Amino acid sequence: MKLARAFKAVFWSFLGVRKRANYESDSQALKPQHVIAAGLVSAVVFVLVLFAVVKLVTR
Amino acid sequence: MSAIAHPHDHSHGEAHEHHGPPRGITRWLYTTNHKDIGTMYLVFSCIMFFAGGSMAMMIRAELFEPGLQLFNPQFFNSLTTIHGLVMIFGAIMPAFVGLANWLIPMQIGAADMAFPRLNNWSFWLLVPASVLLISGFFVPGGAIASGWTLYPPLSIQQGISMDMSILAIHMMGASSIMGSINIITTILNMRAPGMTLMKMPMFVWAWLITAYLLIAVMPVLAGAITMLLFDRHFGTSFFNAAGGGDPTMFLHIFWFFGHPEVYIMILPAFGIVSQIIPAFARKPLFGYASMVYATASIAILSFIVWGHHMFTVGMPAAGNLFFMYATILIAVPTGVKVFNWISTMWRGSMTFETPMLFAIGFIFLFTIGGFSGLVLALAPVDITLHNTYYVVAHFHYVLVSGALFAIIGAVYFWLPKWTGNMYNETLGKWHFWLSMIGFNVLFFPQHFLGLAGMPRRIPDYALQFAEWNMISSIGAFIFGFTQLIFLYNVITTIRSGKPAEQKPWEGADSLEWTHLPTPAPYHTFEVQPVIK
Repeated sequence: MKLARAFKAVFWSFLGVRKRANYESDSQALKPQHVIAAGLVSAVVFVLVLFAVVKLVTR
Repeated sequence: MSAIAHPHDHSHGEAHEHHGPPRGITRWLYTTNHKDIGTMYLVFSCIMFFAGGSMAMMIRAELFEPGLQLFNPQFFNSLTTIHGLVMIFGAIMPAFVGLANWLIPMQIGAADMAFPRLNNWSFWLLVPASVLLISGFFVPGGAIASGWTLYPPLSIQQGISMDMSILAIHMMGASSIMGSINIITTILNMRAPGMTLMKMPMFVWAWLITAYLLIAVMPVLAGAITMLLFDRHFGTSFFNAAGGGDPTMFLHIFWFFGHPEVYIMILPAFGIVSQIIPAFARKPLFGYASMVYATASIAILSFIVWGHHMFTVGMPAAGNLFFMYATILIAVPTGVKVFNWISTMWRGSMTFETPMLFAIGFIFLFTIGGFSGLVLALAPVDITLHNTYYVVAHFHYVLVSGALFAIIGAVYFWLPKWTGNMYNETLGKWHFWLSMIGFNVLFFPQHFLGLAGMPRRIPDYALQFAEWNMISSIGAFIFGFTQLIFLYNVITTIRSGKPAEQKPWEGADSLEWTHLPTPAPYHTFEVQPVIK
């Protein structure tokens, strides 16, 4: 569950926006290690999604 | 601070606050004080700024009208190359490290940097490195003329100055890595009690993220130039097609360093602007957390966009598309930052002292640079604009009105804290407005030149480019000589100037303003403050 929260926080960070209330509960609940791990995994997912889009349009 | 409360301080002898710093040249040679080292970095970067600026003036003098007036083409190319390297590695990056040295310990409530001797070494490495780089002008064959990107085969064919430059870049890279290790350790381990990560000023956050970027990419650059060195002298063929290598590989490796390097030069500027704007809008920074998140996102994205520098080398269409999409998406977190700065100013009680003017100038002009970046991110458009003056206009909007304006704003903002004196506001305003006018007259027409097809890195050009080049050169001379006002203003502030209050900026709220006297004493926060 905590991991899902970390991914949610990272998702919003990619957009660069976060509600104050959610941010405050994040900073209580999340460990930096979780956020960094989620960030790296999300970066890989982001690359794969882009790659899939490229594959789709060049098909 | 009494000696009774800190009996161990006797062993430090002359470094103690009562005695002040040692006198003479040894103070600067042996210093481990973060403020002294910060000052040396800033003075060094100022000297390099004027050295690189003189080369820019020479470039624009040659381009004032068509034909070859002043220099032969080889020397002209050396000028553009060394101008780029000096400004990037000698002026912008050391200025940010100097600001980091001065400000990070004061802003997190630490007594000094974590590794003071390493700090001294990372500064003093820069001096011989810059001498090596610039003295290339005086060796057989002249300074390197490959462009700052050092693309082979040009960089493999050049004379001894290329080896000198490779060594210089190695030393500057080592200096940056040591500086980054120092900054990360200081921020993670030496914050005052209560100064949690999410209470840190944005400048500290921006530098924490930048330091990780530096550690990640400087070794990549070191690898690339070491391979160049091996190709030149030890019979390898990493980048030589005749021996089975590929010059395109250099481009990939170089830009895997080079793109994060762009963010290394802009993220600390974001941090500076994020501190100046709230101080003069008298409002807290809008969306602090989203600023931190956006900075981190930009840092991560910076590693997956390097291919947009090489759309024309013949990557497969899928590769071009990938890098195009990724690059365009960087506009999202960057846009968030710009909107946050504007929202911070919205309905604030704004005043427009010189640091604020430079910060607003930054937002306005950096956004133009960002948009021309989006134009260049479109692979089909880039194929026509690649290697034209459009690119030159774009990256000067990002690096001069971006990074440099932020550094100048920072100097005006913190100069009272450093020197104890106020700078001359009238001269500051003259400096800003002449810079603003000179800069735009200098670089905006270069968009037109690029769109019309004028290639970069050439000393002569076709007649149809004559008018905008002349206007651009006039702008260059205005911009260049305006910087002497800055120099004069800073020197007179250091030497005289009316005394500054502890907190000359009403809205400034970081520790160096709220907890320390002006000027900041030689030793600060010997006892850490407790942050609530």
